[in-house]
Amino acid sequence: MIELQGLTKTYAGKDVVEEVSLRVESGEFGVLIGPSGCGKSTTLRMINRLIPITRGRILLGDEDVTELPPEQLRRRIGYAIQSTGLFPHWTVAENIAVVPGLLKWPKQRIDARIDELLNLFHLDAGEFRHKYPHQLSGGQAQRVGVARALAADPEALLMDEPFGAVDPLTRDVLQNEMLRVHRQTGKTIVFVTHDMDEALKLASRIAILNAGRLVQYDRPIELLTQPADEFVRNFIGKADLGLKLLSRRWVYQYQQSAEILEQPSSFHHDRSSVTHGWEIDDQGRPLCLHGGRLYAEESEQRTRVTHEWSATPDMTMKEALSRMVWFRVMVLPVLDEQERLIGEVAMQGVMGREP
Amino acid sequence: MHSTKVSKGESEGLVANRVLLTLLVAALIGAALLPFAAMAPNRLVSGQSVGLVSALLAWQWGTLGLLAVLLGLCALSRPFSLPAAYRLVLVAAPLWLLLVLYGLGSYADRALEDASSAARISQGAAFWIVAFCPVLMIVDAFQRLHTNLALRSLYAALLAGSVAAMFALDVFDGLAILREYANNRELFAAEFATHLRLVASALGPALAIGLPLGLLAHRRSGARGPLFGLLNFFQTIPSIALFALLVAPLAALSEALPFLRALGVKGIGATPAIIALIMYALLPIVRNTYAGFAGVAATTLEAARGMGMTSRQILWRVEIPLALPVILSGLRIVTVQAIGLTVVAALIGAGGLGSFIFQGLGQYAIDLVLLGAVPTIALAVVADFLLQILVAISKPAGAR
Repeated sequence: MIELQGLTKTYAGKDVVEEVSLRVESGEFGVLIGPSGCGKSTTLRMINRLIPITRGRILLGDEDVTELPPEQLRRRIGYAIQSTGLFPHWTVAENIAVVPGLLKWPKQRIDARIDELLNLFHLDAGEFRHKYPHQLSGGQAQRVGVARALAADPEALLMDEPFGAVDPLTRDVLQNEMLRVHRQTGKTIVFVTHDMDEALKLASRIAILNAGRLVQYDRPIELLTQPADEFVRNFIGKADLGLKLLSRRWVYQYQQSAEILEQPSSFHHDRSSVTHGWEIDDQGRPLCLHGGRLYAEESEQRTRVTHEWSATPDMTMKEALSRMVWFRVMVLPVLDEQERLIGEVAMQGVMGREP
Repeated sequence: MHSTKVSKGESEGLVANRVLLTLLVAALIGAALLPFAAMAPNRLVSGQSVGLVSALLAWQWGTLGLLAVLLGLCALSRPFSLPAAYRLVLVAAPLWLLLVLYGLGSYADRALEDASSAARISQGAAFWIVAFCPVLMIVDAFQRLHTNLALRSLYAALLAGSVAAMFALDVFDGLAILREYANNRELFAAEFATHLRLVASALGPALAIGLPLGLLAHRRSGARGPLFGLLNFFQTIPSIALFALLVAPLAALSEALPFLRALGVKGIGATPAIIALIMYALLPIVRNTYAGFAGVAATTLEAARGMGMTSRQILWRVEIPLALPVILSGLRIVTVQAIGLTVVAALIGAGGLGSFIFQGLGQYAIDLVLLGAVPTIALAVVADFLLQILVAISKPAGAR
């Protein structure tokens, strides 16, 4: 648990961070977000005292760490930054070993920990241990950066726009991995970003800052449905509010049972309603959708199921909706890990329920 | 349009290595037009020039000719592939060099057989050209092959060893420069040692002062401007003027303070020389130290701090290892520069190899000048090469 109490930073008589108080509970994924210059990065860097605190207190667990020597404090809090900051003259293993080394862990324990962390990020330890940072791709370097921050099993993890400099595809993969790692480790995380979609995807709680002040600190869904003021409403963006809401909704919440056709050939499309049914193979995998399209000719009413045109229970509804729109179909099959049909998610479901 | 394209393509296709071809043509023109050696009845009169073909035996210039043809083929795109051509150059060029050296030595022996003992054989312009061109060919071939430093060092050691062996086998004993050496054997050893001592006693303090100043320039942006201004000013003073300028104040100091006199501080000699050398060495050392530290990425330092390293740990484990290659490049510049400048220090009585040069200039004895100049150049080349190796080793494995 990290608690900030009245945290204030004054530069040349001007408050850049003013009386920020918030509490990130154990195992929570807290995100600080706001426009440029709102003080989100300054707030984060005051937590590990890379920037000295002008006023206020910081609690780590139940301990007041405001007066702790900064070096000691930093060894208890992981820190990952945008450009990774990996040491170019050290191998991946040496980079990860920094904080455990500073804490004087025995060599065997450090070695075991390096392998454990590389495995956690699905990096082959035999291959990556001895690589140098310049031999890594952007995504790999960022994974090593986060692994290094987690090396000494810190009480909390601070991340300063860690995925800001990677391409959108890699960012998406890294975000999913971060969610998985967060689930697996249960670390308390404070994460800074300026990207609302990233915040909505990752956060269990979002703190919106403006001009050095904390405007709202809430769960994402409340932020979307009950914005504290006009600034929050504008910052979230009115344009695709519906889609943002769906980005915090998952397919399993909208999943319905699917109708399986015993005799697919006898299916007849009725243009007045959007009836449909699924054709499956003997393994239970969907082969084909019959019907389920609006304004389509009879000949277009059989849609072959592909990997791109399907959903999984943990997919966001935003993604599922996007796939429906792209393939011009009113319904998506929901597949389990063996690709068996376990249900469907339909446009009517999205429209019929309060998000 | 079409035809010009084709002819351009052909000419590009025919010559694969323009540098090699240029060097070869330069060597051949030099060998044809300029004197290879000169023979004089005594030390003080200028000698009679001898061309390469008449100085060397038939098998010697014949073999040189064959090697030239081989090197010429290496410069073309056919018949050899590029890597094969570079490797052939690395075999043919040193053979050429050693043969030229041997040829000069054997010519001197033959020419002196029926001459008076005062007669002297000196090397001519063509010798320097045909000896220098193969060296450049070797350097060029290594650069194109991207050979690693270990192999280059081994190769250089082998070549240097072969030349040293020729000295040891008295191949060059007939040459005037070695006659001068034989006459000044003990003095040469002493001056050589003095030269090295002057360079070392300037570089030590220059590093001791320059490294902290470089770090200061990095940490305190306010100190940077005045510091570099002052050091730049030192650099603009001509070396002879600086040596001379130091003589009077040092003489006065040593006059006024007896304990300085007891330490050996005088207006002339080693003291002003060392001080001037330090002043010249400071700028490159401070500049490169500053550049080395400034080149360490800000994010690397932020990460180091964020992980709980102390300032001292950051300095020794992150900043210095990452800055070291740049700092050592500065040392390399300064060392080569100091070896050269120390020659001038002979003018104010500091000794060193420069004393042969100025003595030789005074007596119009070119061979004595060369006795000072050639070892100075060799010393600079060797120091440069050794420090280059050091720079390469100091590069962090991740950046090599």
